Amino acid sequence: MQDHHHYDSDLLVILRHGPHGSSWLKEGLDAALVAAAFGRRVSLLFMGEGVAALMPCQKKGPLGQKGTAETLEMLEMYDIDSLLVEEQGLSCLGLSSDDLMLEVTSLSPPALARVFAEHRLVLTF
Amino acid sequence: MRYAILLMGTPYSDQASHSALRFAHALVARGHCLEAVFFYHDGVHNAARLAAPPQDEPHLVDAWAGLANEHRVALQVCIAAALRRGLLDEREAARHGKDGVSVQAPFELTGLGQLVDLGMRCDRLVTFGP
Amino acid sequence: MLLHVVNRSPATSRVYQQALSGMSPDDRLLLIEDGVQGALPQLVRYYAGLEGRLFALKEDLESRGLLGHCDASVQVVDVDGFVDLTEEAERTVSWY
Repeated sequence: MQDHHHYDSDLLVILRHGPHGSSWLKEGLDAALVAAAFGRRVSLLFMGEGVAALMPCQKKGPLGQKGTAETLEMLEMYDIDSLLVEEQGLSCLGLSSDDLMLEVTSLSPPALARVFAEHRLVLTF
Repeated sequence: MRYAILLMGTPYSDQASHSALRFAHALVARGHCLEAVFFYHDGVHNAARLAAPPQDEPHLVDAWAGLANEHRVALQVCIAAALRRGLLDEREAARHGKDGVSVQAPFELTGLGQLVDLGMRCDRLVTFGP
Repeated sequence: MLLHVVNRSPATSRVYQQALSGMSPDDRLLLIEDGVQGALPQLVRYYAGLEGRLFALKEDLESRGLLGHCDASVQVVDVDGFVDLTEEAERTVSWY
């Protein structure tokens, strides 16, 4: 069965974890970068705790663990410019989008649901 | 329909592997084509050749291999996630100067591009997380 | 229409909130693994507003001794029903 629905974008990668504490954020970003390198149109959605990935001034972790901030700074090179943040995730941490290291679009729940419908594939990390 | 499964849970620590296998068997029993199971994050441990569970527990590694052989399902393991966690096939073991092989056939190490490709090509991709 | 799959209990995890915030008015929600606890009358209130669109996996209820304890508003489906739900939905989104 073929899906004839038109999607605005190919892949939505949902990032729900902050840097350093686990490999979820890094491995989710890896999937996004690979898809973009293969010419897919990719959006990133930072949800919940994942909003912390966008904090400026991050440093290396224990044993020199690299973290993910450098990868996020490279997103433009991969043509990943659709950076979405869950409004609730921001307010939960007492942050606003101005506090973040990259320019993002903040989404309320109805807008979130629309984003899910616009992508051909959704991967949650 | 053409299906793919993405599995990111560790065998025996989470129910994810059991749930994914149960779903996989239901899919093929219903006549769907399960093209591949992609193992990412801690899901790569499902390919562990040296897993030795007690006899009264399901042997998940063998169960995946059985599914693959019986229904021509590809078992694709993210190579980057696998190497970090000590899962190497013959080629990678040789390349890294290791004297053991820890990935069970027919699991195959492959790139993340395969996951993206599966997600785009298949009608449905179902994720099982921890 | 999308199918959202949740495997955590709303008694201990906020994953259910993430799933709910991504749901459109016609999307469906399936509870599996520890998520089936959300089908209990005491916990189903977390899913208020999903009447008719809330499902729980029979096998996972059964293995936990919870099969006879579900709220009447929850539709119990077996793994074949799970496959049906993924066929009927354009995509499946997992929350874990």
